[in-house]
Amino acid sequence: MGTFVQQVFNGLTVGGIYALIALGYTMVYGVMRLINFAHGDLCILGAFVGLTLLTGTAASGQPGALVLLLAFAVAIVVIAAAGVVLELVAYRPLRKADRLSAVVSALGASLLIENSIMLIWGPNVHVFPAGLLPDVIWHVAGATITFVQVMIIFASVALMAALYYFVHHTLFGTAIRAVAIDQDAARLMGINVNRIIMTVFIVGPALGAIGGLFIGVYYRQAYFTMGWTYGLYAFIAAILGGIGNIPGAMIGGVLLGLFNAFAAGYLSSSWQDAITFGLLIAILLVRPTGLLGEPVAENA
Amino acid sequence: MDAAKKPVTRRNEAIGIALWAAGFAIPAFASSSWVAIAAMFAIFAITALSEDVILGRGGMFDMGHAVYFGIGAYTTAILNTELGVPIFLTVPAAVLLAAGTGTLLAAPLIRLRGDYLLVATIGFNAIFVLAMQNNPGGITGGSDGITGIEAPSLFGIPLFSQSAMFWLDWVVLGLVLFLMRNLDRCEFGRALRYLKQDELAATTLGVDARAVKTLAFAVGAGLAGLAGTLFAVQLSTVSPSSFVFTESVTLFAIVIVGGPGSIPGVLLGTALMFVVPEIFRDFAQYRYFVFGIAMIAVMVLRPQGLWPRRRNGL
Amino acid sequence: MSGLLELRGLGISFGGLRAVDDLNMSVEEGQIVALIGPNGAGKTTVFNMITGVYKPTDGQVLWQGRDITGASPHRVAALGIRRTFQKIRLFPQMSVFENVRAGCHLQARQHWWQGLVGTRAQRREEAALAERTHAVLRRLGLHKVADERAVSLSYGVQRRVELARTLVAEPKLVILDEPAAGQNEAESAELNDTIFAIRDSGVTVLLVEHDMNVVMNVTDHIVVINFGRKIAEGSAEAVRTDPAVVEAYLGRDDEAEDAA
Repeated sequence: MGTFVQQVFNGLTVGGIYALIALGYTMVYGVMRLINFAHGDLCILGAFVGLTLLTGTAASGQPGALVLLLAFAVAIVVIAAAGVVLELVAYRPLRKADRLSAVVSALGASLLIENSIMLIWGPNVHVFPAGLLPDVIWHVAGATITFVQVMIIFASVALMAALYYFVHHTLFGTAIRAVAIDQDAARLMGINVNRIIMTVFIVGPALGAIGGLFIGVYYRQAYFTMGWTYGLYAFIAAILGGIGNIPGAMIGGVLLGLFNAFAAGYLSSSWQDAITFGLLIAILLVRPTGLLGEPVAENA
Repeated sequence: MDAAKKPVTRRNEAIGIALWAAGFAIPAFASSSWVAIAAMFAIFAITALSEDVILGRGGMFDMGHAVYFGIGAYTTAILNTELGVPIFLTVPAAVLLAAGTGTLLAAPLIRLRGDYLLVATIGFNAIFVLAMQNNPGGITGGSDGITGIEAPSLFGIPLFSQSAMFWLDWVVLGLVLFLMRNLDRCEFGRALRYLKQDELAATTLGVDARAVKTLAFAVGAGLAGLAGTLFAVQLSTVSPSSFVFTESVTLFAIVIVGGPGSIPGVLLGTALMFVVPEIFRDFAQYRYFVFGIAMIAVMVLRPQGLWPRRRNGL
Repeated sequence: MSGLLELRGLGISFGGLRAVDDLNMSVEEGQIVALIGPNGAGKTTVFNMITGVYKPTDGQVLWQGRDITGASPHRVAALGIRRTFQKIRLFPQMSVFENVRAGCHLQARQHWWQGLVGTRAQRREEAALAERTHAVLRRLGLHKVADERAVSLSYGVQRRVELARTLVAEPKLVILDEPAAGQNEAESAELNDTIFAIRDSGVTVLLVEHDMNVVMNVTDHIVVINFGRKIAEGSAEAVRTDPAVVEAYLGRDDEAEDAA
């Protein structure tokens, strides 16, 4: 019983992070039909930006929560700006080109960001400073739950709820959904498609920066290739829920987090990854539109 | 007019053959480390050309091509080190096993389109690497891989020297180039192009989409398996890290950056990704940083690739 | 009596929409048959069911008495049935020659490995098929534009290229989906001769057409459908005066819009 509850909480924590990152993949895919391979690296860039602020200010004796908030704020701003630059430089010129060109451009952007991190921060594993957050621990039904876990779960849920409200209950959100369904029709209705895509490249990376920083805070470490690893997981989560589908990414993230947590209890980590990828392929074959996905026009 | 008979096609072929023939002289003036680089160029050129069969000509987003390359390399390594099979005799097994895997994976894969196919092949690549690392049955050597692969021997004479190995790779590259040139002029190659450009129209002309796409996977995978054998021999060792997803991305990028379906384009792409970095060895840590910028820049400035396929010719 | 092609009770539904319902018709060998009807009547859907693009939900497609219902498009092509498309589908990156050469796909007997190795027999076959392609290009007056990129040419020429692509296979039946669409008056008059010439070369023709000049002048037999159902059939003269047909076409403004 204790391990079960423990795995549920571990799964929800990781799942919340996956979901935050998955949203960036799914929103971009929704409006542009492009897998933004650079998204995972952007998120980890966020972790590094946050880390630098944390280590820089940790010694100043300011309260941990304040320092953490500042780190998040700066990471969000920097990564959102990076997202906009990415869109303008690597994707916008290719909107009318063959899809493969955009895919390769995205892969190039991923390499570029990942190796920028390596060149700036070096190839070593960086450890996050300790003692920023209260060392509170709860014991629930035999499981140990940390303050960080509770914070991540609450923050992810709140952010996802906010995003859901934004996309489904505001005029701007409606415009995003309109562009996702039919770009040309949306343009004819007077929607500024460029502005919508730009917004998606602000919101997605901003959420991703939070997710990336959560990874750092939760695992207490960051290294430059982390973007691939966690990006791929989050991407699988997006596919699981149906790529292009925003609630799908949230559910996919949580399901994948739970799946990983429970698999970790019974399997070695390498076979666990193999099973995750097997699951991915099985979903693609049986239900390529994911658990919640609507059929996406593939001829676009 | 039949494009194969066009004077410009003939001229380009003559230039190509002359360059290939001149390549044999590389060991005469290059240092042995440069001969090794030339050998690696030949091996990766074969692999990239094999990826081009599936991606460039077939239009199927295969981002797991390192799997077939790896299967060829591991087959040769295991047969040679465990069972003492001479290198040349491992070639049929390497090619057939890789081609067989390609055929097997193609069955589910070709039902998927575009991005879904791409993601599924990424998944297969990850599973392959994890499987090699987990050392099933104790035959793949885990993360360290397999060492001690012999040099091939021809008529009882072992090809120990780097030059001899290079010549072998160069001959095989020539053979693969010959096959690729013929692919442009045969019904199988045409059928791939029809499917890529308009699948519905192609099938109403009698093209069996499933059969042709599966065959493309089999041929592309088989040639990659052949390159895998050469790779195992060149390094005399194989390990999972040589066949990770990043390698598949590199092969994918070579084809798209060079020019899909264009033999000179793919060769140029291979040279840029594998030879140019050797010239700037002192800046090795900037390698992928520069690749990243180059990939974006080429796609933005030349979305058709650096050396695109000619449109009307063959 | 069994025709070359026979449709028996053919029907298909898309979701809740009954696009074609209980269609019976027969195409006799050597005939020119037209399938007409207002916009959205389901004509192209019928073609798509014959050629295997759609699988019918009901009924049968019989080819020379054999049931071929639901066969995939490449198998239908192998029977000697070739088609053109209402919205022209030429290979965009290819020349006129290459597009027409594509029609010979099933005539090529070479194995894939013979092609890769480039055997003498394979090269001889390539030469023969190229010659065959050139012959059809000359026959349809396309030899001057053989090396042009097909989709860069005028609409009328593109239609002829698509037609050449079907004829090069020497089919038993060609199915033409609005061959006169987008053609000028001279081209459409020329089309009548072309269709006669196709028939005279022993190929049966089934066509969908809006241009009544073509329909009334060339066809042996006309089938009229509306809202997916057959409402009349017979000779051009009989169909022209059939009250149901007149009503279908005159009532077009208020009804056909919904069906389309």
